[in-house]
Amino acid sequence: MSVARLGAKVPPFELEAYLPESQDFGTVSSSTLQGEKKWIILFFYPADFTFV
Amino acid sequence: MSCDTKFVHLAWQRSEGELAGVRYPMGSDPKGELARAFGVYDEDTGLALRGTFIINPEGVLLNAEVNFYNIGRNIDELMRKLKANMYVARKTDEACPSKWKDDGDATLRPSAKMVGRVHEALQGESG
Repeated sequence: MSVARLGAKVPPFELEAYLPESQDFGTVSSSTLQGEKKWIILFFYPADFTFV
Repeated sequence: MSCDTKFVHLAWQRSEGELAGVRYPMGSDPKGELARAFGVYDEDTGLALRGTFIINPEGVLLNAEVNFYNIGRNIDELMRKLKANMYVARKTDEACPSKWKDDGDATLRPSAKMVGRVHEALQGESG
């Protein structure tokens, strides 16, 4: 995957995910979200079951 | 997003009271591919740093914030930056100064006249 840069289009991505709203597994894809004209916040954090 | 599997996300969201209200997808990046693409993968630990990225509907990266492990990110500040980015996307001749928090707060209209006169412009807007 190429690297994301400010001011540039991010590399397209697709991830497996847990979806709390449906309590099920699914996928998240940037192309779907962009098709829905949504703003995206990517929020990375080190590990589940940790603190801050 | 973290490098945990989707199974651990399920277990954590169900057991941690602080996450009871979560409705957004919890992404799983176990190989660290997406974390590397955004420059937040820590090769020493195999974990993602605390990075937040704002992307507009056209897929352009507009904001990046990265903290080291023990410092949490402030959600009020994140919402401020999201709203500011959404505002300037609509009002392309305006800029949101540091005290801007929401629609209706004072903005600046950059121009040649304002060069070296930002202080006066800010006094004028709030006066």
